[in-house]
Amino acid sequence: MPSTPPISFDPRDVFFITPQVVLAVWGLVVLLADLALARRLAETARRQVVGKLALVGVGLALAAALAVMLVPLFARAFPEDASAWFRRRTLDYLFENDPTIFLGTIAGDLETGTFNLVFVLLLGLVTWLSLAWKFTEEWGEYLALLFWATVGMMFLSAAEEFITLFVALETMTICLYLATSLEKARRRSAEGGLKYFVYGSVSSALFLFGLSYLYGITGTTQFNAIHGLLAGAGESGLAGNPAGMMAILLILAGFGFKIAAVPFHQWAPDVYEGAPAPVAAWVATGSKIASFVAFMKVFANALLPWASPGGNILGPGWIGVLALIAAVTMTYGNFAALAQRNLKRMLAYSSIAHSGYILVGVAALGLSTDGARAAGAVLFYLVVYSFANVGAFAAAAWLMRDRENDNIDDLSGLAREQPLLAVCILFLMLSLIGIPPLAGFFGKLYVFMEALNQPSGSPHAVTLIWLVALGLFNSVVSAFYYVRVLRAMFLRDATGRRLAPADTPVGLSILAATAVVIVFGPFSDSLMSVMQAAAAPMLTVPATVPPLDAPRPRPGKVVRKPVPRFEYSKEEMERMRSMANGGAGPPGGVRPAAKSAGPSAKAKNAPASKTENAPASKANNAPASKGALGDSTRTPGQN
Amino acid sequence: MESDIPLDWFLLFAAAAFAIGLIGVLTRKNAIAVLMAIEIMLNAANVNLVAFWRYGPLRPEAGPIPGLVLAVMVLTVAAAEVAVGIGLILLCYRRFKAADVDQYDTLSG
Amino acid sequence: MLRNLFLVISTLGLACALATVLSRNLVRAGLWLVAFFFCVACLFVLLEAEFLAALQVLVYIGAVSILLMFGIMLTRGVQGTDPTSNPSARLAPGLVAGGVLFLLLSYGISRERGLRTQRSWATTGERPAIEPGTEGPSTPRRDAINNMGKALGVELMSRYVIAFELAGLLLTAALVGAIAVAHREEAFEPSSKGAPASSPAAESASVA
Repeated sequence: MPSTPPISFDPRDVFFITPQVVLAVWGLVVLLADLALARRLAETARRQVVGKLALVGVGLALAAALAVMLVPLFARAFPEDASAWFRRRTLDYLFENDPTIFLGTIAGDLETGTFNLVFVLLLGLVTWLSLAWKFTEEWGEYLALLFWATVGMMFLSAAEEFITLFVALETMTICLYLATSLEKARRRSAEGGLKYFVYGSVSSALFLFGLSYLYGITGTTQFNAIHGLLAGAGESGLAGNPAGMMAILLILAGFGFKIAAVPFHQWAPDVYEGAPAPVAAWVATGSKIASFVAFMKVFANALLPWASPGGNILGPGWIGVLALIAAVTMTYGNFAALAQRNLKRMLAYSSIAHSGYILVGVAALGLSTDGARAAGAVLFYLVVYSFANVGAFAAAAWLMRDRENDNIDDLSGLAREQPLLAVCILFLMLSLIGIPPLAGFFGKLYVFMEALNQPSGSPHAVTLIWLVALGLFNSVVSAFYYVRVLRAMFLRDATGRRLAPADTPVGLSILAATAVVIVFGPFSDSLMSVMQAAAAPMLTVPATVPPLDAPRPRPGKVVRKPVPRFEYSKEEMERMRSMANGGAGPPGGVRPAAKSAGPSAKAKNAPASKTENAPASKANNAPASKGALGDSTRTPGQN
Repeated sequence: MESDIPLDWFLLFAAAAFAIGLIGVLTRKNAIAVLMAIEIMLNAANVNLVAFWRYGPLRPEAGPIPGLVLAVMVLTVAAAEVAVGIGLILLCYRRFKAADVDQYDTLSG
Repeated sequence: MLRNLFLVISTLGLACALATVLSRNLVRAGLWLVAFFFCVACLFVLLEAEFLAALQVLVYIGAVSILLMFGIMLTRGVQGTDPTSNPSARLAPGLVAGGVLFLLLSYGISRERGLRTQRSWATTGERPAIEPGTEGPSTPRRDAINNMGKALGVELMSRYVIAFELAGLLLTAALVGAIAVAHREEAFEPSSKGAPASSPAAESASVA
């Protein structure tokens, strides 16, 4: 009789995936409500009813995401209160030193908490924006697909293991293919969807083949275990191991498609132009954030030992390839954007260029001695870029609604008709260029600072300096095409039909995005500290990898120790949330208390006795993952 | 089992099938033919996964059958991909009266 | 014996794959694809993954190929001829690219070095042996091979439960979305495809 030792996940782990569960279920609810009830209504009423129902779901998911993020923080910050609130079992669970859940397949830490929140907020904007005008007949299906794509994104950014990552990636992209082509009355929507599908499927196949080689080399699919196995493998590592290089290149190609990096970018302009504006916004923001988070987890955690094994930029390792891709991507994206006249197409090329800047940050992360800070810079950039982009796509949606056209010239005369929103779009564009007081500037600043902040004498320092120089040059180039938008809005007279006043969906998206861009300029350090806190557990190796065949000394093994560099309290989280929500909410007065040097060096006393740094303590003394514990009866390497 | 099949035979088969799939993706213009070529590539990856599972070491944290689980997931994903792909191709066919990718021309690029 | 069997099956499989890719007639290509799927299923049997072989036959041959056939016949007519395919101008670069990829991959396979104390791929001449029959010591791999359905079920319900549930969501989404995309509604009138829809896109500047 087979004697598999009974393994099972902890049922309490389900608590950490409530936002995903809520969204998945609510997608079905919206779909069924639309099918059963709302189809009888007239078009506009149906859109409003189904849309409001969807927004209720977003609200529920927001509540769930906040609960998932704040309850563990609360319990750790105020153990006495928590012990009155929770039962013993629950309390033990909340204090467990294991950031992974479901037997180590996904993470349930601060990173997932933060990004669930970001995804839900962005989804709220995108859903609201979808209600602006009629572009599809299938409202229930459309909203359900948006929700399910979000579930895929959440799991993608939470995955700690390749099988889950692959399925999450596919869930996200397949929902997005379908949503892209749901504007069925337009040919370009169908064409964009099919192109997205073909390019995306080929990239998934490439990714999967590379993944199979990686599995063949290491024999496991878990990031932490792969990191442990590759680290210090020395001679048998990447150098002189072309199969490993193949695996890296194929996986890089797969991710390159998802984040639209040159030379895998061809789909992006067509899809952004063809898709309805809210879907294009969701492809440009949500899927990009999730892909980049997964990208960083794979490359800066699992494959970190292969970043640059020889210490030479031309030697084996992914740093050289990544630096090359980053350079080509930002240059190509910016110069191609100069020639565009369609707003969405221009945003597509600019989003390619932004991928290039972010890749500079990822390259810096691969070499950095302080992973959390470098990764925090990338995450900061991603969040700020995403909100600014949602706002820009809201402008495109507005054009589409009233002028049935989304060329840049159609924005002409907007400043006279709608001064407030025109000024908001001005701020968004300035932030995308990277003009100082706005958040986009700080995103670029942090990323480039991290790239320059290499240990002296590092063989890669020169390469990164060149990359940063190229990035600065590109930022100047990018100003030209963003300014064309502004010129159309402010300096030209209106041509053609007047834009009707923006109603709530369009106006709210633009205003909220502008608020984020403005608020996180002066307050960039608080967002940065949250992002660094989120990045810390993402990159650590909490589980001790069981020794392979024989416990040999591992000379070069680098275990990233999370430095407790930032502490923040519940009040601060509240404040962050209220700011992200657009300013409403209780104003908390606690500044981020950063212990060490860094962009957020304003040390003020947070209630340090009570505030426990959740991610650091989670990762510091984690003995082993649950998966390893549950299976410890088996001898590794035996059959 | 004397004279067992070496591992790299399976791997070479998978590599060849993958390359053939890539040829199909690059040369065919018909969207359904491209879809078939993608299926060949996914199958090649599956052969790799199962061969690595049978020949390679087992590690405790990934369970006894990680390669098989991933292969089953690929199977599922492939089925979903084909359904979606056929749906999109039918939509495009009705809009453009053609199933060749290069005859779609509303989007420049 | 096993080696000869493998050589026969793999040669057939590669020939079928090549025929799928090169065949001008799409219906024939689909049939070659079925044969290729079957060869892969046979390889799974050689790898002692009979359960997966059964799944391969059921899903790929039973569902995927049939869907593809429907797709062909709905877009091409029953004959499925594809006169436009494979102009030699595209074929030659494609073949070169595929050949180069194969050479690179086979170079990688032959030069792989085992991680730490593992054997390299090229020197793994035989699989880890397991005792035949139901007697003998119980090891995870042996249990999995002897009772693959159960092992897979246990894994999908414990360790990979998130992936499993997500796959369910993925299938739901694909079902819902494919119906929504493909079902025929006549909201698309030819007038709307003319002026407002395609002309602005057509006049947008092209770079790529």
